[in-house]
Amino acid sequence: MDRVLALSWQHLSLSVIGVALAAAGGIPLGILLTRYRWLAKPVMAATEVIQTIPSLAMLALLMMLFGLGDTTLVVSLFLYSLLPIVRNTYTGLLGVEPGLLEAGKGMGMTRSQLIWLVQVPIALPVILAGLRVALVTAIGIATIGVLIGAGGLGTLIWRGIQTRNNTMVLMGAVPAALLAILTDAGLALLEQALVPRGLKKKAVSAL
Amino acid sequence: MRQKCKRVWKLIALVTGIAMLLLVAAGCGGTRANGVVVVGSKDFTENILLGEMMAQLIEAHTDLKVERKLNLGGTLVNFNALKKGDLDLYADYTGTGLVAILKREVINDPQKAYDTVQKAYNEQFKLKWLQPFGFNNTYTLAVPEEVAEQYNLQKISDLKSVAGEMVLGAEQEFFNRPDGYDGLIATYGLNFKSTKQMETGLKYEAVRNKMVDVIDAFATDGQLITYKLKILEDDKQFFPPYFAAPLVRMDTLEKYPQLEEILNKLAGQLNDDEMRQLNYQVDEEKKEVAQVARDFLLKKGLID
Repeated sequence: MDRVLALSWQHLSLSVIGVALAAAGGIPLGILLTRYRWLAKPVMAATEVIQTIPSLAMLALLMMLFGLGDTTLVVSLFLYSLLPIVRNTYTGLLGVEPGLLEAGKGMGMTRSQLIWLVQVPIALPVILAGLRVALVTAIGIATIGVLIGAGGLGTLIWRGIQTRNNTMVLMGAVPAALLAILTDAGLALLEQALVPRGLKKKAVSAL
Repeated sequence: MRQKCKRVWKLIALVTGIAMLLLVAAGCGGTRANGVVVVGSKDFTENILLGEMMAQLIEAHTDLKVERKLNLGGTLVNFNALKKGDLDLYADYTGTGLVAILKREVINDPQKAYDTVQKAYNEQFKLKWLQPFGFNNTYTLAVPEEVAEQYNLQKISDLKSVAGEMVLGAEQEFFNRPDGYDGLIATYGLNFKSTKQMETGLKYEAVRNKMVDVIDAFATDGQLITYKLKILEDDKQFFPPYFAAPLVRMDTLEKYPQLEEILNKLAGQLNDDEMRQLNYQVDEEKKEVAQVARDFLLKKGLID
C-alpha cells in the first residue's frame, strides 16, 4: 500500500510538472497568438502534429536527448499538453464579445490591460477547461513512462501484465483512474473559485 | 494598474525561462556521481534476473553503489541508453546484437557470432561483451503438446503444410526484427492463417485459451514447463545463436576495471535448464526476482 501511495504521488507530480510547464509556456503563447494572428495557424499546426505522434514513439525519441527516466517523461507530457492549453487560451480569448473590448477601449484601457482585465477573466473557464483536458490526458500518458525508466503507477501495471498478476495491474490502474477523476474535480473547484461571480451568471445567461 | 500587468508578464517569462533552463540542464547533464554504476535490463523476466544478479554481484564484491534501472522497454531502449551513458551495463544476446542491431546475416557458429559482435561493438560503439553466462536463449516456435501430436510436428519444417490453419501469436519485437517473423516465413516458406501481436506476458495464456495455435517462445522460458508446450526444432537453423553476456561501456571498465573480473564470475554458470528453472521460479512460482537471484548466487558460491 505504501508503494502504491508513493507511486501515485510520483505519478501525480510528474503529470502536474509537465502540465504546469506547458501552462507556463502555453498560456502566454496563446495570448501572444491573439496579437500576432498570422502566427496562429503554423503554431496550431505544429501542436497538432505533436499530438499525433504516438506516446511510445515520442518517449523513445526524446530518450535519446534527455536520457532514461523522469525528465524525458516530463518533456513529453509538456509537449502533449501544449495543444489543449494553447488552443483553448487562443480561442477563449478570441471568444470574448467584441462589444466588451470596445467598451474597454472606450474606457482608455491599454492593450495589456484589455488582455489581463477583460479577456483573460472572461476566457478563464475555457482556459481552465484546457488545463483539465491536459492534466487528465497527462495522467494517462504517464503510465507508459515506465518503459523508459520513469516512475509512476505504470510500474505496477507493466509488471503486473508481465507476471500475469491481475491484482497488481489493478493496483496501478485504479489509482491512476482515481487520480484523473480527482484532479478533474479539483480543477473544477478551482474554476469555481477563480471565475468572478458576475461572469459566471453571465456565462449561463449567454447560453 | 500598468505596473501590475508588467509584473505578471515578467513572472510568467521568468517561470518559463527557469523551466526551460532546468530541462536543458537535465538533458545535458548525466554527470554521474562517482562510485555509482547503473545496471539496466530489458522487460522480460530472464533479463531482469540477469540484471539483478549482476547488480548483486557488484554490490557484494566492490564498494560501488548500484542503481538499478530494470524492466526497460526492449532492446533499443537499453542499447540507446547504454550508448548514451545512462546505463553502464545490461545483459544482451549475441544473436540480437548480430541481426537486430548490426543488421548482418545470421551466423550459426556461436563462437564466430560472439567474435563478430565483439569486434563490431568494440569499434563502432565502444562497448564490450564480457564472458557469456552459458545458456543459449534462442527464439523458437512452440505449440501445445496435443497440437504437436495432432499434426505430428517435430520440427519447424513440419509446419509448412498446416500453417494455413494456424494462428501465430508473438510479441511486437518478434514481428519487427529481421531475425524474427519475416526471416522465419521466408526461410521456411510458411503461410499462417493469421498472426496476432501481443504482450510477452500474455502469449502463454493466449495459446492455452486457443486464441492462437503457435507462439514464438524463448528456449529458456519457464512457462514452457507449466503450459506443456513443445519446442519445434529449428531444422533449417534459421534462428541465430543467442548467447547472453554482460554488455558494458568501455569507459566504465576503464573507470572501474574490477567490474570485468567480477561480472566474469558468472561465465558459464548458467546452462539452458538452470536458466529455465530460475525463470520458472519467478514466472510460475511467483517468487521475487531479488530473492531468486540471491539464492542462485549463494548456491553457486558467488556471494556469501
